[in-house]
Parts: sequence; structure tokens; C-alpha cells
Amino acid sequence: MTTQTLNSLQLAIDGFTPQSAEPAWLSELRQDAADSFAALDVPTIRHEDWRYTNLKPLLALKLAAAAPAKITLGDLKPWLIESADEIRLVFVNGFFDSALSRIPALPAGVLIAPLSQLLGDDEGLPGKLARYADHHAQPFTALNTALFTDGAYIRAGQDAVLETPVHVLYVSTGGQINAPRTLVLAGENAGLRLVESFVGLAGESRFVNAVSEVMLASGANVRHAKLLRDAAATHIGWNEVRQDRNSNYTHHSINLDAQLARHDLNVMLAGEGAACTLNGLVLGSDAQHMDNHLVVDHMRPRCTSNQLYRSVVDGRSHSVFSGKVIVRPGAAGTDAKQQNNNLLLSDDARAETKPQLEIYCDEVKCAHGATSGQLDPDAVFFLRSRGLDTRQARNLLTYAFANDVIEQIKMDAVRRHLEEVMRQRFHGLLGE
Amino acid sequence: MTKLLEIKDLHVAIDGTEILHGIDLTINAGEVHAIMGTNGSGKSTLTKAIAGHPDYTVTSGDILFKGESIIAAEPEDRARAGIFLAFQYPVEIPGVSNMYFLRAALNAQRKARGEAEASGAEFLALIKEKARLMDIDAGLLNRSVNEGFSGGEKKRNEILQLAVLAPTLAVLDETDSGLDIDALKTVATGVNSLRSPERSFLLVTHYQRLLNHIQPDFVHVLLDGRIAKSGGKELALELEDKGYAWLEQTV
Repeated sequence: MTTQTLNSLQLAIDGFTPQSAEPAWLSELRQDAADSFAALDVPTIRHEDWRYTNLKPLLALKLAAAAPAKITLGDLKPWLIESADEIRLVFVNGFFDSALSRIPALPAGVLIAPLSQLLGDDEGLPGKLARYADHHAQPFTALNTALFTDGAYIRAGQDAVLETPVHVLYVSTGGQINAPRTLVLAGENAGLRLVESFVGLAGESRFVNAVSEVMLASGANVRHAKLLRDAAATHIGWNEVRQDRNSNYTHHSINLDAQLARHDLNVMLAGEGAACTLNGLVLGSDAQHMDNHLVVDHMRPRCTSNQLYRSVVDGRSHSVFSGKVIVRPGAAGTDAKQQNNNLLLSDDARAETKPQLEIYCDEVKCAHGATSGQLDPDAVFFLRSRGLDTRQARNLLTYAFANDVIEQIKMDAVRRHLEEVMRQRFHGLLGE
Repeated sequence: MTKLLEIKDLHVAIDGTEILHGIDLTINAGEVHAIMGTNGSGKSTLTKAIAGHPDYTVTSGDILFKGESIIAAEPEDRARAGIFLAFQYPVEIPGVSNMYFLRAALNAQRKARGEAEASGAEFLALIKEKARLMDIDAGLLNRSVNEGFSGGEKKRNEILQLAVLAPTLAVLDETDSGLDIDALKTVATGVNSLRSPERSFLLVTHYQRLLNHIQPDFVHVLLDGRIAKSGGKELALELEDKGYAWLEQTV
């Protein structure tokens, strides 16, 4: 790590001034995070957790401070998810855009708003924000905490259920360091559905340093999709999820585009009987680099976790899957499954897979499997013998491989939207 | 008689090893030919060579389809010209529904032939009619191609593809293997209903029993990569009666 490059991120912190006066608790939090960032090294490939993801290209970027920009609904069109009653929060370069956002009347107990509007005491943010995403241990969480301009706050109180997915769009216009922040609180037996889209207009390389915290009280149910669609972005996203008793969390990480993406997902199964389903899809092309790094911590008995991660890598792209399952002492009755499948479409593409199990308890069921390979030549021939040309056959098989992950999404509008995106990506399949 | 398929002194090798040592076979429009033979006699190799599997190399000889050599043609071009191969081991394709796959295949063929692609409604009507013919329930159409299908379902699904794609030459590679008698009858009924003066069949089978249900016009016996004997349908019965050893002695 050179002093000069480290300084470019450090300079962003030093040059940061909030948009408006902030309450003392937030200033203190930012200062604490800034101090942590200064004390923590930006990880290099010598760090085991960053072995396959080299951040040198990020540190070489010239990045301006986040600044608001004017965009239109037309600019957002490719990323909007059609649905009858859409709830939408739009942040441009990390700044809330009320004109592009849409917050209809919500059921009792549900609050959806930009964090910037809730910094007073009413929502009790001081005790909630940054409670679990640890900026003392993670440099990029520290960077986000020091720099975040705004973000989505989504809360469903006890027994409140919001069926309509909340779509949060974080839009980058280029050349900047953006630090969006999401906080999701699902109370006892509450239900929420959330889509975070990280998208970007074509333009200069940008750095998006996101942190999302999701907390589920006992019996809560949260479905959470994260869509990454910004070909000019270096995206580092930290996701901290904490689950209480019998809560149910589903995560879909769909990485369709990025120069370099690192997606950390930490799930703490902190209450007995909690369950999580974690799915991911990576579609890499050209020289893209996409890294999924998961830790699922079975802290209490009878929790279940189920991971399905797939990557399709073409060109010279590179995918990384690292998934660790920890079963703590006393977490009897744990049921953990992990599956990672990688499809290599070209000779120069690479896929790393690193499953890890740390089990400190008997009476557990843990299964994991990983595969990496090319398209099955027999299947290609089968399709060609039915009249599809080689490109169509390969596209159809690739689509099928990837679609297994998309199919897991139980938010219908989101799934249909992504199926359409995939069909366009693997064009020429149906002639529609 | 219009010659549909002409195979002339065909030699085929896989991984440098020659499997077929000079096959001559002519199939006229509307005819049903059966190829019988023991395992390793080259039956499957012949079907793969006709369909254009890239692992099978024609080292000499020729295959003419409708008068034109096809040995340099891509498998998809052969399919679009009207050749269909029902696989001995149909491939499973998780994640692609049968409907989606069939429509993609049909439209790829139609497009290549300069015909209008099937609309959703037109395709739905077609597939429903053909599925009824093959006794395939609608649930199977919406499932991934062959995934989790029973052996019989897979074979019926091959004949469904045959019915939808409507080729002029259908090559069936051991479609009868692994079928119970009911499934065999369903498959045979499907094939018989597709017989027409323009459409020819090449049935590859180890056993005579398929030929009880689909009456061939000609039977050929393949032995060590050559056609050892040709005849009418009575040859199949004679073979059933005397066994392949009888032919090996007479050759």
C-alpha cells in the first residue's frame, strides 16, 4: 500500500463536510469511524479474506467528493421494476431525490424515509445505526460510516407487514466516491420486502462504498434483493444481518455489472430457530472482477442456512466465492447447506471457490458442494441437433444455469424483471 | 421413388479409431428402415454421423440428404434441413422449460427456412395437440427439459419434439431401450401417427420387439461397422429366432 493511494480515501474523509448541521451523536460516530479508518489498513491480497481481490485499481482512481446531480425519471427507466404500487426511494450520488421518489400511504407501523430526515431522536437512530456493522474492524464500513451522505431507512414495527417491495435506487453519475447507507428494522413478526439497486449512468469510474444493516426481531420475515448494475463502478458493499428467534431472512445478490465488486454478507443467526436463505448470481464479462464473501454465524440452536451462489464468467472476468459457516458451541440442531457452482465460458475466465466450515458443536447437519466447469458439450450438441445454432445453444444453457438463481426470488415483480433482463442479455432465444 | 438419404461407403472414426468401415444405405421418401445390431456394432455411431455430432469424423464416403452432401454441414443446418435425431440418452437441461426449449427450437428452424415464427398462441395450440398425441401431461411441458423425467417420459419427450419439429427424416437411436410395454406402445403409436409418404424413419434398435409395433419396410443388420445383411421385416424375426451369432457365422 502506498502512502499516496491510501491518502486518496483518507482525503475523502478529511474533506468531508455534512450537507447540514448534524446532531452530536452522528458527529461523534463519524469521528470514531474516521479514526478507525485511519488506524485500519486498506486490505491487500496478503489478507486472507482479500486474497483474490486486488484493490490496487480502486486506489489508483481519482475520485471527487460526492455531490448531488440532477437526473430524470427517464434516466432511471432501465432499472425501474414495474409493479402496480411501487414504493421507491432514489438517491443520486448518495443524496435523496424527492422528485424521483415515491412514498405512498403506508400501513400502520411502517416507516420509509431517507435517513437524513430522521436524525433527531424520534426514531431512536443513535441506538440503531451502526449497531452491528462494525466500523472498528472493517475499513470500508468505517469509510462509509465516516462519509455516508444519506440512505434508506425502512422500519416495520411489531406485526406490521408490507407486501409491496420497497425499491431503493442508489444512482451514481460518475467520478465520485459515493457512500450509501441502508438501515432496515423489522419488528416482531413484521414482514418487509426490499430491493436495493446500485446503478450508474455511463461515465467516469466511480467508487460506491455501501453499507446495509438489516435487523430482524423474533418472527420477522425480510426478503432482500441487491442488484448491482453499474459497469463503471468499483463497488464494495458490506451487509450486516442480525436475526432473532424464528425470524426468516432471504437475500438475493444479483451482480450483473461492475468493474470490480466485493459483496460481503454477514448473517448472525442470533436467536433459536432463525432461518436464512442466501442466493447469489454473478455474471462476469470482459475484465470484470466479482467477489462474494459470506459468513453465516450459527450462534444459537436449531437455525438453518441455505446458500446457493452461482457465477458465469466470460472474457477475462474473474469470480470469487468465499463462504464460511460457523457453528458455535451449543448451536445444536444446526442445518447448514452451501452450494457454489461456477460456469466458465472462456479459456481466460477464472472462478475461485472457497467453502469453509467451522463447527464447534455436535449434532449438526452441514453440507457443502462446489463445482466449476464449462458448458456440457452433449447438451450443446443436443440443442444444435434441434436447430439452435452454437451461440443460441450456449446462450440458452447459460441462461438456464443462471436462471436457477433468479427463480429463487419470491418477489414476483422483481423476478419477472430480472428474467427479462436475462433474456435480453442472452438475446435471440425466443425471437420475441 | 425419391431418394431422401443416401449413405455411400461411409467410414466414420471417433478419436482416431474407425468405427464404421464402409456403410451403404439408401432411404427413399416415406420408407421406414430398421438398423439392428449388437452393442458396439456401430449403430449409434451411424446416427451421430447422420446428425453431425462434432466428435464423429467422416474419414471417407459421403452422406447425401435430398441429393446434397451434408457431411460438412453443422448439426443445426442438418436439423433445419429436416433431419431429426431422437437420442438414446436424452440430455437434461435444468432451468429451461420444455415449452421454452421447444419453441426456441421450432422458431430457430422456421427462421432459418425463411418461414414465419410461431406466435405464442399458435405454438400453444400446436404443443397441446402434439402432447395429447404423445400422452404427455401439461405438467411435463412446464418442467425443465428432461430433468427428473422417468426413462419413459424422456423417450416420449423425444417423440414430442419429433412431432413438433416435423422433420422429413427421423433417426431414432434405441428409443425402445428401457421402456416398459405401455411406454413402448405409446412411443410406437406416436411414431406411426407421424408416418407419411414424405417422411422417412431410421429406427436403430437392439431388439425386435419395437418392430412388432412399428412395421419397418427394410431391416439391416450391422456387424462390426458394416451392414452384414439386409432384408424385409421378416429378417428381424429371423434374427430374434436365431440370434446375432447366426449372422456372425454366415458372414
